[in-house]
Amino acid sequence: MNVREFAQKAGYAVFSEGEDREIESGYCGDFLSNIISRAPDSCAWLTVMNNVNVAAVATLIDCACIILCEGVAPDDALAARAKMQSVWLLGAKGNVYEEAKRVAALCGV
Amino acid sequence: MSDCIRLEYDVDGDNFSSAGHASESVKRTLKQMGVSAASVRRVAIAMYEGEINMVIHAHGGKAIAEIYPERIDITLQDSGPGIADIDLAMKAGYSTASENIRSLGFGAGMGLPNMKKYSDEMKIDSTVGVGTTVYLKIGF
Repeated sequence: MNVREFAQKAGYAVFSEGEDREIESGYCGDFLSNIISRAPDSCAWLTVMNNVNVAAVATLIDCACIILCEGVAPDDALAARAKMQSVWLLGAKGNVYEEAKRVAALCGV
Repeated sequence: MSDCIRLEYDVDGDNFSSAGHASESVKRTLKQMGVSAASVRRVAIAMYEGEINMVIHAHGGKAIAEIYPERIDITLQDSGPGIADIDLAMKAGYSTASENIRSLGFGAGMGLPNMKKYSDEMKIDSTVGVGTTVYLKIGF
């Protein structure tokens, strides 16, 4: 499933939009060095980390989208950088586990 | 040397939001040159970790990329505190980063190990109180 359709079906907040591409897998984590070395391409990256480096890391790993969990809203710097880099930045209310299950159920990954 | 593209960047040591600009710029350049996605990713990760290290530990520094048809040489140079025990610093999970840095998602102790993992060659010259230079070679 592509990111736009997924965001709609999941009822997520959309803080920034990017290329409408397919979510091929998922990865959960907050330590940025783990993420850049382990997250697969085109994944949905689920995190509670909220700072500007999240957008830089998302670009490096070429993920399909970032999902900020637990109702986290991006700070101004993160939102601005995500928009500048055309990275999908989504907001979810549930915790990382609940939202990972949602990604799995909706996207079949 | 005529077929080498040399890119040089100042890494701002007090500005986390600018960290990643050098690696993003190199990533764009390599993509435009038609380097494979897998190689571009290795370069971008190794270089990003180097940039972050310079911001966290050394108040910034210089990142130099020399791009050849078949490889990239990266030099990351700082005038920071130096690394007292390089073997220890290379251990996955070892970090001297502060609690504040960890709260930003860094300091997992994976920076240097990641740089090694994604490079074909890595060399560290460091003198305590003088600074550190990391040399990376990554083939395409």
